[in-house]
Amino acid sequence: MSYAALTAAAEIAANTGADLLGVFVEEQDLLRSAGFGFSREVGASSGISHPFDPTGLEQRMQRLAHQVRRALASAVAPYGGRHTLSVVRGHVVDEVLALAEPQDLLVLGRVGWSFAPGARLGSTAKGLVRRSPGRVLLWCENRILPQGRVVVFLNDHKEANSRAVTAAAEMIRHSYRPVTLLLGAGSDIPSEDLQGIQRNLGIQESDLRVRSLASTDPVFVARLLSQEKAVQLILSRGCALLQAPGAEELLVALNLPVTVTP
Amino acid sequence: MPLPAPLTESQVYHGCPEEKLDFVTTDDLQDLERPYGQDRVLRALEFGAGIQADGFNLFVLGPAGAGKHELVERFLSTHASSQPVPSDWCHVYNFRFSDRPNAIKLAAGEGRQFKKDMSDLAEELGTAIPAAFESEEYQGRLQQLQEEMAKRQHQGLFDIQEEAARNNIAMITTPAGFTFAPKRNGEVIDPEEYKNFSDDEKELIESKVEDLQKKLQQTIQQIPRMRKEVRERVHALNEEMVQLTLGGPIGELREKWSHLPDVVDYLDAVREDVVEHAEAFQDSDNGPPAGLLARYKVNLLVDNAETVGAPVIYEDLPNHQHLAGQIEHRARQGTLYTDFTLIRGGSMHRANGGYLIIDARRVLTQPLAWESLKRILSSGEIRIESLERLYGLASTVSLQPEPIPVSVKVVLLGDRMLYYLLSHYDPDFLDLFKVEADFEDDLERTDECYELYARMIATMARALKMRPLERSAVARLIEHASRLAADQRKLTAHDRVLRDILSEANHWAGQAGAETVEASHLQQAIDEREYRASRVRERSREQISRGVVMIATAGEEVAQVNGLSVLRLGASMFGQPTRITATARPGKGQVVDIEREAKLGGPIHSKAVMILSRFLASRYAGDGELSLSASLAFEQSYGGVEGDSASVAETCVLLSAISRVPLKQSFAVTGSMNQHGEVQAVGGVNEKIEGFFDVCQEAGGVRGQGVLLPASNVEHLMLRADVRQAIAEDRFRIYPVSNVNQAIELLTGLEAGETDSRGEFPENSFNRRVSERLAKFAKASKKPDDNAGVNSGGGEDND
Repeated sequence: MSYAALTAAAEIAANTGADLLGVFVEEQDLLRSAGFGFSREVGASSGISHPFDPTGLEQRMQRLAHQVRRALASAVAPYGGRHTLSVVRGHVVDEVLALAEPQDLLVLGRVGWSFAPGARLGSTAKGLVRRSPGRVLLWCENRILPQGRVVVFLNDHKEANSRAVTAAAEMIRHSYRPVTLLLGAGSDIPSEDLQGIQRNLGIQESDLRVRSLASTDPVFVARLLSQEKAVQLILSRGCALLQAPGAEELLVALNLPVTVTP
Repeated sequence: MPLPAPLTESQVYHGCPEEKLDFVTTDDLQDLERPYGQDRVLRALEFGAGIQADGFNLFVLGPAGAGKHELVERFLSTHASSQPVPSDWCHVYNFRFSDRPNAIKLAAGEGRQFKKDMSDLAEELGTAIPAAFESEEYQGRLQQLQEEMAKRQHQGLFDIQEEAARNNIAMITTPAGFTFAPKRNGEVIDPEEYKNFSDDEKELIESKVEDLQKKLQQTIQQIPRMRKEVRERVHALNEEMVQLTLGGPIGELREKWSHLPDVVDYLDAVREDVVEHAEAFQDSDNGPPAGLLARYKVNLLVDNAETVGAPVIYEDLPNHQHLAGQIEHRARQGTLYTDFTLIRGGSMHRANGGYLIIDARRVLTQPLAWESLKRILSSGEIRIESLERLYGLASTVSLQPEPIPVSVKVVLLGDRMLYYLLSHYDPDFLDLFKVEADFEDDLERTDECYELYARMIATMARALKMRPLERSAVARLIEHASRLAADQRKLTAHDRVLRDILSEANHWAGQAGAETVEASHLQQAIDEREYRASRVRERSREQISRGVVMIATAGEEVAQVNGLSVLRLGASMFGQPTRITATARPGKGQVVDIEREAKLGGPIHSKAVMILSRFLASRYAGDGELSLSASLAFEQSYGGVEGDSASVAETCVLLSAISRVPLKQSFAVTGSMNQHGEVQAVGGVNEKIEGFFDVCQEAGGVRGQGVLLPASNVEHLMLRADVRQAIAEDRFRIYPVSNVNQAIELLTGLEAGETDSRGEFPENSFNRRVSERLAKFAKASKKPDDNAGVNSGGGEDND
């Protein structure tokens, strides 16, 4: 459980007037894995192996659900919004998608060993990014730079671009920040489109900057984002950057909150 | 024996003729460069200040108020001005042993520069190092390093995960770790379904799971080692960054201070320390902790940047802390703490390479100060230790700063008694204070001295910023200086008394609206001082004039004489007559000193009475036995008697009691006497004579009275003007006597008489009467019946 993601979700819900729905999925594979006679659990920190049985797991799941409920309540408490917790059993991606609507925002934190630098994007995150009907925010706790910018990655898909710009506009409406538009290699943006984007974003011309990405090489992208002092990256799931090799590692290594729009 | 002639007016006073003074006012005179008449002290100071050997510190002896401090400070300031300026000293943090701050010696003036350099460096460290950690280069390298290490950490897990996947086994993340379970079509097999697997299949799966679990265990257990490696590599990277950042500024400082190996070593230690604490500099928002940067400060203990010549320091409160320095503490949240910046130097530090002047009495009255001073002088180094630690009163963690070598010449100022007591009782004293500079109390009064003495007065007057003195005033002051010295051939050298009189004379001149101080103002100052101190004297005289205290100044009486005594009260003294009486009767050759019997007589007085007793026996008993039981008493004296100045008077009154010859009460007698009857000098003659003169005056006027005093005391006479006037008019006479016979003849009017070849005194002589009377006593003593009478304490007195 990522408390940081929970807090971020509560803040976003409060800013947008949305309800907060927490989803606690009792993973089916996990429940099953405890049912074998030979099952053992190897401690993540100590490496010590000890018996793993369904009864014990059930109890732990209940305790965890209880903890999640309390964490959800305390995260929402400062803002006073509505919140509910849905406890379901099954596959995480399927269960979440079953609950998610296109207008919903899915907020995912990074937990466990996927938190460490160099880790890969987990299967849950990958599944949701690929299949979510709405936006997915991969939350990452980072240092908020006062002069930081929101970076929006555009591609040649107009509708996808529009969704990304809308997401950026909603984000900066509550906390004003300058915006950088990142264009893929060789692409350009007509000035009237640019003006339209500026209008949609609702920012001054001086706060909008356009930069071209000569390469989708992860190191190059990381450096550029660092130069821009990016505080959040917004991109559509169809954009070239997500398709490039090493993109998953890049998203993890960026140490930035990333919003992926459909 | 011929009788002495009475002294003339010129013999009782050594006036200062104004024609000897060749100026109008003291403004015409130049300042004295060297103190007048103190050649012995000056030579001692020159020697003591110049000699380099150990232990040649100085002790300047002299009475309080003699001007020791001023003279010593003036001399040393001149002497020190041509000497080299000593080094600066500072304490810096000791990076190896933090409780033992190091001491660094620098040339005069360099201390300030070094302190500023280190302060600038600390400031630069506070900004440059966080900037280096913020830099893209560092951040990039750090990220690369962390990613690389994380990859290595995770690679093992991924490999196991992949191996599991290849064997259709899922590696599942649990709330606390990992577990393995067989899977099919991407899902974990239902355990119920698994039960239907064949034993072979089960065995295969379970052995693989077991194998994977072992591998996973090994991989996880390697993670701490990897993390440690990461930490080490990050630290190495931090060190590299700091080294690069520090290279410039520290390199410059090393170059600048290359002539001082201690400073270079310190700079190297600073660099190592910064590198070691590189992580503490990473917080760019708050900067490095203040405590860390404070360690690179310099505590400049001795700053001689503005010192000219060698320092001359006067420590007016020479306690342990002020001499040897101290370690201060600050209170923080109820606890006391200290660091090397709270070390404070003492006067020994400031005087290092120069001179330290201390008042001996003050240093002796401060706890442990004298011991600390001696320890510093004998060890040649200053070790700062707090008094409470020396006493064992505090056990908080404190510092032990590196001792600083010291080369200081200490000049103690004190009175003679202190010097002699220290010499006697402190075995270290003469080893450490080998140079004795003894102040002259009095100066020679010769014709040549007038000009110098006048210039000394002029120098004093200018230092006091007072009106100039007229020539007549200087002459009067010179005469008074002789009176203060109680010697016609001496002048007092007592600085404070002269200054006080000058200041007071200046005041009276101001009151009178005069431009200059005249003789009358000076006389007024002397008279006013006398008057202010005269209350007890006047009460004493009043008792005499009213007859409460019985003193006869006319007529003749048997066994009664006027002795003269001096009373000292504070700074003033006065003389007054005392009636001395005697009794005599047959006995066993004893003279009872009633004062001693009553425990009112001091040892010197007792000695004088014993001498007198032996004089009587030797002169009048000859080869026979002295049969005498006599007593002597100072009538109406209740405060104790000390000294031998009444010996002559006591002899005369006792002889009068024996011989029953009356003594003239118009005379007062003073003088000490030896066993042969020779009269010896005594002190306080001026006060004694003036005291008797005043009593006579109040008893109906001075008409033929006088004083008998030792001939050797004539040079000490500096009598008041009214006494001199009476002498000139022959109303008051002073007889200088050299033998007790002269005193007898003057007091009785009879010839004293010398023994002839048969050992007998001439007929009708005073001594013959004494001798005959004693012979009668001897005869009476031999009667057996009489002995019983003597022993029972009865019998007749003075018979």
